[in-house]
Amino acid sequence: MTRPVAVGVTCAAVGAAVLAGGCGSVARQQQGYSSRVVPAISMQTSLGSAAGTWATLVMGGSAAQYNNFWQLFVRPAGTSTWKLVTPPGTADNGGLVLAVGSGPTAIGAFRPSQLLTFTPLIQTSDGGHAWSALSPLDAALASTPAALAVEPGSSGHLLALTSSSTAEQTSPAAAKWTALATVRTLAATPAGRQCGLRALSAAGYLPSGVPLLAGECSHPGIAGIFADHGGSWQAAGPAVPPSLAGQDVTVLRLLTAGNETVALLQAGNGHDASLFAAWSGPAAGQWTISPALGVRGAALTSASFGPAGSVAAITGGTAAVITRSARSWQYLPALPPGTATVALGTAGPADALAVHGSRLTVWQLATGGQGWTRVQVVNVPIEYGSSD
Amino acid sequence: MPGMNSGINVSDPTVVAAFRSALLHQGLIALLIFVVLGLAWLSLREFLPAAWRSAKTVPDPAPAPVLAEPSWRQVLRVGFGIIWIFDGILQAQPKMAVGLPSQVIEPVAATSPHWVQELVNWAGTSWSYHPMQAGAAAVWIQIGIGIWLLTAPRGPLSRLAGLVTVGWGLVVWVFGESFGGIFAPGLTWLFGAPGAALLYAVAGALIALPESAWRSRLPSRLLLPGVGVFLIGMAVLQAWPGRGFWQGTAHGKPGTLASMTASMAPTPQPHLLSSWITAFTGFDEAHGFAVNLFAVIALAIVGVTFLSGRPRLIRPVLIAFVVLSLADWVLIEDFGFFGGLGTDPNSMIPFILFATAGYLALVAAPEPAAEPAAAAATAPAGLAGWRSRLRAALAPGALASARLDSVAAVGAIGVIILGAVPMAAAQASPVADTILAQSVDGSNAPLDFAAPAFQLTDQHGRQVSLASLHGKVVLLTFLDPVCTSDCPLIAQEFKQAGQLLKADTQRVELVAIVANPVDYQLGYTQAFDQQEGLTGVRNWLYLTGSLSALQRVWRDYGIVADVEPAGAMVGHTEATFAIDQNGDVRYEMGFDPGPGTAATVSSFAAELRDTAQQLLSSS
Repeated sequence: MTRPVAVGVTCAAVGAAVLAGGCGSVARQQQGYSSRVVPAISMQTSLGSAAGTWATLVMGGSAAQYNNFWQLFVRPAGTSTWKLVTPPGTADNGGLVLAVGSGPTAIGAFRPSQLLTFTPLIQTSDGGHAWSALSPLDAALASTPAALAVEPGSSGHLLALTSSSTAEQTSPAAAKWTALATVRTLAATPAGRQCGLRALSAAGYLPSGVPLLAGECSHPGIAGIFADHGGSWQAAGPAVPPSLAGQDVTVLRLLTAGNETVALLQAGNGHDASLFAAWSGPAAGQWTISPALGVRGAALTSASFGPAGSVAAITGGTAAVITRSARSWQYLPALPPGTATVALGTAGPADALAVHGSRLTVWQLATGGQGWTRVQVVNVPIEYGSSD
Repeated sequence: MPGMNSGINVSDPTVVAAFRSALLHQGLIALLIFVVLGLAWLSLREFLPAAWRSAKTVPDPAPAPVLAEPSWRQVLRVGFGIIWIFDGILQAQPKMAVGLPSQVIEPVAATSPHWVQELVNWAGTSWSYHPMQAGAAAVWIQIGIGIWLLTAPRGPLSRLAGLVTVGWGLVVWVFGESFGGIFAPGLTWLFGAPGAALLYAVAGALIALPESAWRSRLPSRLLLPGVGVFLIGMAVLQAWPGRGFWQGTAHGKPGTLASMTASMAPTPQPHLLSSWITAFTGFDEAHGFAVNLFAVIALAIVGVTFLSGRPRLIRPVLIAFVVLSLADWVLIEDFGFFGGLGTDPNSMIPFILFATAGYLALVAAPEPAAEPAAAAATAPAGLAGWRSRLRAALAPGALASARLDSVAAVGAIGVIILGAVPMAAAQASPVADTILAQSVDGSNAPLDFAAPAFQLTDQHGRQVSLASLHGKVVLLTFLDPVCTSDCPLIAQEFKQAGQLLKADTQRVELVAIVANPVDYQLGYTQAFDQQEGLTGVRNWLYLTGSLSALQRVWRDYGIVADVEPAGAMVGHTEATFAIDQNGDVRYEMGFDPGPGTAATVSSFAAELRDTAQQLLSSS
C-alpha cells in the first residue's frame, strides 16, 4: 500500500470509528419517558356507606410479578372490627374499584390485568358476605378510584369511566353498556371548551341521579365537573377560590354520600400544589369549598371519604381531615408505618390501615387524638404466584 | 422481544432427547453419504476400464504450469475450516436447540437499535417454531462447510466453498450476532467487534478469489493493511471518551470493560479460567485507565505497523499481536465457547489467522505447483469454461479419476444439504413443531369411554348438547372467562387449530365450557369471545349454564374449579378431551399452555389439529 492510500484509508477508519462512537452515545441518550397529564391517583382508599366503612388496599408482593393482590375490607356499621371481604372469582392484580350507593349495595370492579381486557363486576348487598356477578363492562376500567359510580336511589344505574376516557352507563340488570361521552366529545361542548378539558379522572352522580364526569382543565381556575342534563353536558363544578384562580385544577375524586356530592380537587402542580374539597347540595352548582391544604410537592397517596361527607387525604406520610363545616384541615398524629389509608367513622374515631406484605394492622386514633393504638391484625391468605 | 423465545426450558428433557435423536439420525445419514461416495469411488477406480479413467473430455492442448495454493490462502482455508467444524460441534450441545434464540441471540440483540431487534426477532421466532430442524441444520451446515474448506484446496469446488462461507457467515453475523453488535453502544475490538462471523465471511471472500488473483499483489494489499486499518479505527474508538472504558469503576460500579468481564466469570467453566477472569476484572477496576491506555496504544501500534508493509517491522509486531489476541481471548472474551450455549471461539482466533495470512501474503511469493495441472486450471475461461468443466464432471470416468479430497468435498456438500433441506422444509410451514407442546404437557393420554352428556347454553344463548354434536370430532376444554393468563392462551390455541383444520373445520367442533363458579353468566362468555376474537369462528362454542349444571359437567369430566381467596384467580383443571364422531373420549391432553409464547401457542394448535385429524381418519 502506498503512503497516500494508507493515510486515506486510515482516515476513513478513524472516521468510521468516530461515527461508531457517536452512535453509541446517541443510543444511550434516547432513553426517557413522557410524563402523565393527569396526576396518578392511588386507588387505595376508604369509603363510608350505610353498610359500614370499606377499604380497598393493595397487599402482597411485587406488582411486576403479579404478586400484588387488592383486598377489600369492611368495618360493618356499628362495629369496630374489620373483616376481609375481597370479592371472589377474578384475579384482582389490576386493581379493585369499589362503588357504593345510598343503600347497602356495594359494587366491585376488577380492573383487568395481563391478558384480560374487560372489567368483571360483582355486587354485594350484605356487607361483603355474599357476592354475585354482574354483567361485565366491555372495556378496561380507568385506573382511578372514582372510575365507577352507583346512582343514588333505587334504579342503581352504573356509570363507568374506561381507560380510553369513555364514560359508559348501564343498569345492573342490563347486559349492555351505552357510551355517554368521551373526553373528546365532552371537550367539544361549550362547557368543555370553557374548561379546556384535557383528561377525565372521575365519574359520579349528583344526589338527584344526574351523571357527573370530572377531569383536568387546561384553563386555570376552572374545576372541570360536568353534569349530564338530558344529553347536554353542562358545567357543574364549584367556583375556585380567588387564591387558586391562577392554577390549573384537576378533580381527583367524586363521591355521592347521602344528600351531597363530595369532590376532592387539586390546584396547581409540583411544589405549589394544594388540595381542597367541595360539597354540593342536591342540585348542581351549589358548592361549599374547603380551605386549601398545601402539600408542598408531595403526592396524594390516598384519599378517603367518611359517611358524613368528611374527607381525609394522605400526602407525604401525613394525614389531614376536613368536614363540610370545618374551617380548616385537621392534621392527624404521625401515621403508623405502612399506613395505606385512613378510614373515617360516622362519628367515632378514625382508623389507620397499615399494610406489610400480607398483614393488615389496624391502628385506632386514641381518644383525644393524641396517638394511635393497635387494635387489630388481619393476616390475608394471599396465593402468591397464582396469577403467573 | 415477543416471539423469539419459545419459553421452553433450555434443558427440557423432551426437547434435548429429540434434538439428540435428530442429530443421531442425521449423523448416520452423513456417515452414509461419505461411505457410499467412498465405496463408489473405490469401486469405479477398481472396476472401470483404464481407458475411461484416463479419458478427457476437454482437450488439453498445452499443459501449463499452475500455481500451488499460496500459503496465506492455505492458512485461511484450513484455519477457518477447522473453526467451522468446531462451531458445528458446539451447535450440537444439548441446550442449543431451544436455548440459542432466547439465551444467545436475544441478549445480544437487546442493546441494538429497534430495527435490528425486529430483524433478529423474525429469525429467532422462525428458529423457535422449529428448534429441532434449525438446531440440527446449524450443526450440519457448519460441519459441512468446515469439511468442504479442508478438503477442497483448489479449483471451482474450493472457490465455491469460499462463497458458501460468505453466505452462511453473513447469515450468522446478521441473525445470530445482531450484526456483531456494531449498531449497539460499547463497540470494541476487546469484546469481539465486528463479530466473528463477519470475519468468517471475509475469509470466505478471500478464499473465493480466482486463482489469477493468487499471482497478483491483491492479497498482500488487502489482508494485512485491511487488518491494520481496522485496528487503527478500533484504537480511536477505544480512546473515545464517555464510553466507560477509561474508568475501572464509575459511581461505585465497574466500568464498561470490568462489568463485561465480571459478567463472564459466572459462566460454567473450569475454576482456573474463571479465577483468571475474576483477577483481571479486579485489576481493571483498580487500573482501568492504564488498561485502556495500553489497549489503545497497542491497537494503534499494531495497526500502523501492519499498514507499513515492512516485513522486518511487522514480524515482531505480529508476534506481539498474537500474544495480545490470545490474552484478550482468555481474559476478556473468556474463550467464547463455555457454558453450554457458546457458539464459537469468538473473534481473536480469526484475527490471528487474518494477521498471519496477511503476513504470509506479504512475504511469500507464489510458487509453481509440483503436481500436474488439473483440467479445470487449463479449461477455457468464462461460460464455455464452466460448461466444459461440467461436462468433465459428468463424464463416466470423472468420479473414478477424481482425487480423494474432491470426493470428500462432494460429501461435505451432501452434509450441508442434509442440514439445510429439512430446515428449509420446516420453515416453509408457519406452524410450530408439536415437540414444544409435548415438552410442556407430555404426550396425549389415550382413553376410550363414552363422553359424559351435557346440555348447556352457547355464547349466542342457544341450547347445545353433546348429542347434538354427534358425527363430529369434538375438542373439549374448560376455560375461565375472567382468567388473566392461561385461558386466553388456550383460546388462541383453539382458534389457531380451527384455522389449521381448513376443510376439516366443518367436521370438528371446538368447544369450551365455563370453569368459574362465580363469573359464569352469558355476558362473560360473550365478553371473553370478544376479547379473544372468537366471535367469527364458526365451529367455536363457549358453553355455560346454571351453576348446578356446570358443576355436574365438571364432576363428570373430573374438572376442579375452586374459588381461591384474597383476590386470586379461580383454580381449575387445564385439560382438553378429544371426543370422536361416535361420542367417545379418545384422548385426554394436558393443556397447561406453559410459557404462552407465539411458538408454544402454535405448537398446541398443531397438536389439536393433528389429534382431530387422527380421529377423523380413524373413523
